[in-house]
Amino acid sequence: MKRICVIGSIYKYLTHVQHMADRYLIGYPLHGRWHRPDMKIVSFYVDQRPEGDLTAARAKEFGFKAYPTIAEALRCGGDKLAVDAVLIICEHGEYPINEKGQKLYPRYEFFQQCVEVFEKDGRSVPVYNDKHLSYSFEKAKAMVDASKRLNFPMLAGSSLPVTWRLPDVELPYDCEIEGALMVGVGGSDPMDYHALEAMQCMIERRKGGESGVKSVQLIEGDAVWKAGEEGRWSKELLTSALSRSDTPLGVSEQDGRPQDLVGSGQLQVLVKNPAAYFLEHHDGLKTTLLMLNGAVKDYTFAAKVKGMGLQACQFLLPPTPNVTYSACLMGKIEEMFMTGVAPYPVERTLIVSGALESCLTSKIQGHIKLDTPHLNVKYLAPKESQHAQK
Amino acid sequence: MRTERGISRRELIAGAAVIPLAGCSRSERKRPRIAAIATIYFKHSHAQHIVDRFLDGYGWNATHHRPEMDLVSLYVEQVNERDLSRERAQRHPGMKLYPTIAEALTLGGSKLDVDGVVLIGEHGQYEDNEKGQKKYPRYEYFEQIVKVFRDSGRAVPVFNDKHLSWNWEWAKKMYDTSRELNFPFMAGSSLPVTYRTPSLEMPLGSQIEDAVCVCYGGVDSYDFHGLETLQCMVERRKGGESGVKWVQAYRGDNFWKAYQDKVWSHELMESAITRSHTLAQVREGFNDYLPTIDEMKKIVKNPVAYHYEHEDGLRSTMLLMSGLLRDFNFAAHTDKGLFSTQMYLPMPDGRTTTASFFSPLVANMEEMFLTGKPTYPVERTLLTTGLTAAGVESLFRKEAKFETPHLSFHYDAPEKSTYWRT
Repeated sequence: MKRICVIGSIYKYLTHVQHMADRYLIGYPLHGRWHRPDMKIVSFYVDQRPEGDLTAARAKEFGFKAYPTIAEALRCGGDKLAVDAVLIICEHGEYPINEKGQKLYPRYEFFQQCVEVFEKDGRSVPVYNDKHLSYSFEKAKAMVDASKRLNFPMLAGSSLPVTWRLPDVELPYDCEIEGALMVGVGGSDPMDYHALEAMQCMIERRKGGESGVKSVQLIEGDAVWKAGEEGRWSKELLTSALSRSDTPLGVSEQDGRPQDLVGSGQLQVLVKNPAAYFLEHHDGLKTTLLMLNGAVKDYTFAAKVKGMGLQACQFLLPPTPNVTYSACLMGKIEEMFMTGVAPYPVERTLIVSGALESCLTSKIQGHIKLDTPHLNVKYLAPKESQHAQK
Repeated sequence: MRTERGISRRELIAGAAVIPLAGCSRSERKRPRIAAIATIYFKHSHAQHIVDRFLDGYGWNATHHRPEMDLVSLYVEQVNERDLSRERAQRHPGMKLYPTIAEALTLGGSKLDVDGVVLIGEHGQYEDNEKGQKKYPRYEYFEQIVKVFRDSGRAVPVFNDKHLSWNWEWAKKMYDTSRELNFPFMAGSSLPVTYRTPSLEMPLGSQIEDAVCVCYGGVDSYDFHGLETLQCMVERRKGGESGVKWVQAYRGDNFWKAYQDKVWSHELMESAITRSHTLAQVREGFNDYLPTIDEMKKIVKNPVAYHYEHEDGLRSTMLLMSGLLRDFNFAAHTDKGLFSTQMYLPMPDGRTTTASFFSPLVANMEEMFLTGKPTYPVERTLLTTGLTAAGVESLFRKEAKFETPHLSFHYDAPEKSTYWRT
């Protein structure tokens, strides 16, 4: 039975640590069964333990031990690495926020401490890092480099790439994408990250694979509508993405009717502060994330694919408390822990971490276009679909 | 009533082709004109969800789709302070309100003057009978519709929302009339056509050993949706649907006793439950814990099961477990092993503002109105109508096994999947 160590920021009800790690304690829904993994969480490190902390209660019920440091957790109190895999879940908790609005979660720092133990003890094990790698591309890159140097499987990222899709759309491998657009909602930087990664898991399947991001720009407010008028983002793609939304607001909320938010002009009325994230890829593909708070409450994507026309879906985020999308993610992580092979490349999360950081830099530098030579991250997507389909 | 010989979909379509449907030839007439007949029209009522999609369009095929037809007339029986039909008529002058069903169908003239009819007899103030069935006037509406058909010497396609009638004899008469007048007739729930998570179809010709649906809601209400969930899957089994021999309902303590006695498969029940996105939580501090049976007994106050045997021996079970979850989940043992999925029906409880599962239902209606061919057989809903009534009957008879020789009819499932995939 695989022995798992969890490194978390905070372990309270409905934090990522709780709804993710608990699944390995009590089982979770997977492929039509209540799946009980052949793994055991043996040790925990929890950075912040305020009121409502569940660490002690869970430790008692499930027979693991919480340690005061990451190194001790990895060694289970001994002098050598004593686990077979590590879950780093550094989301939620009190951490400072920088001038770009990024919450400075110590994911890199936690990861580095793991790497130090791996190096000292002469053995490495698979690591999953929840959400983006770091608020800083430089740090994110160092994390990925360390995994390559020490040759351990590494997986990271959001649930959105692996959750259910409505409908179950996957872009064909090696397709030619003429344009892609993602709609997201929520705050920055947590939710724009999820939306960017959802878009990335779709477009990385294009011909030639991911070529890297050449430039980015983030604009806000009326400039977003103006950019739409000028054709910088496609109204056709936006209409397509929004056609997959289950939650149009405004008159739909008032009296239940479906809406063409773009055609009716209601979008501008409902969205007080839109933001557009423009990404230009090295192979020429241009993609846009529109954050449209006030218009909808879900995440939708559309692409125009050569020979196939419009392809669009919603990334389903089932409701709280169950948030069963995280069960989909824990299934993929378990797959890596069991096989030693990451089911999809960590470079996806690396490029998204960096693109997000650069977009937020663009935002505070007066919404200017920024060249991003450092985002020259090239990778190939897995051929086999990795989202929830079984 | 016993149908000795089954009615195949191919025969139906062939039959429908014998007498061309007046007004349905797309080359002759520009856009089909549709009449909607509804009990009541308020926010989140079925009439609102369905009629609005014709009027305002809806998300379909990766764009905002506008039906290639016009909903030109509307009859609404009950108008109260929450009514939206007046606002709709004002905003969409192409749709006129008519005081009677006949006038809605004749557009105020003397003969049938529409190319399709949508009958929405759901919601509104209607009496319950002694068995707890709400006496929605679907049959009565249908009779008025076919009177116009008969008087006009022609008939057009009809879609009937939900089950046909609470009264089996009337439901059967609706079906027989549609055959007699030879018009395309569809009916049913959104469950068979909505998204599935995962997006799976029962392979046509599968061998199915047993099947379960775990869902929620009340008797003579969501039980019908649960039965349609089951039926749209099991009808695809080898040999097609064979009809149903008997129905046995269980409620409360008898439900748990039947569970204990393994009247239905524990494995299937658990598999269906694992497809839920809304499992109720019994342990503080946990967000997605699978309750034990003892814990389920505490949160499911009034469980109901309809367990029934088909003519070919298949046993199906519909489980209403309100308090445990708020979705519709199907599981079956097939020749390929364990099969399960959720039919995605998010409620406007925060999960959706538009009840988007009505979109595939309207898309299927549209196809029938454009082509004159039902996309799935009305026999499915004839059977689930009878099963709903039989379940209610069994409950009414103190959970006695209820023989259903009248449900012993055969039909074939459509080859093509009709649930939401595009």
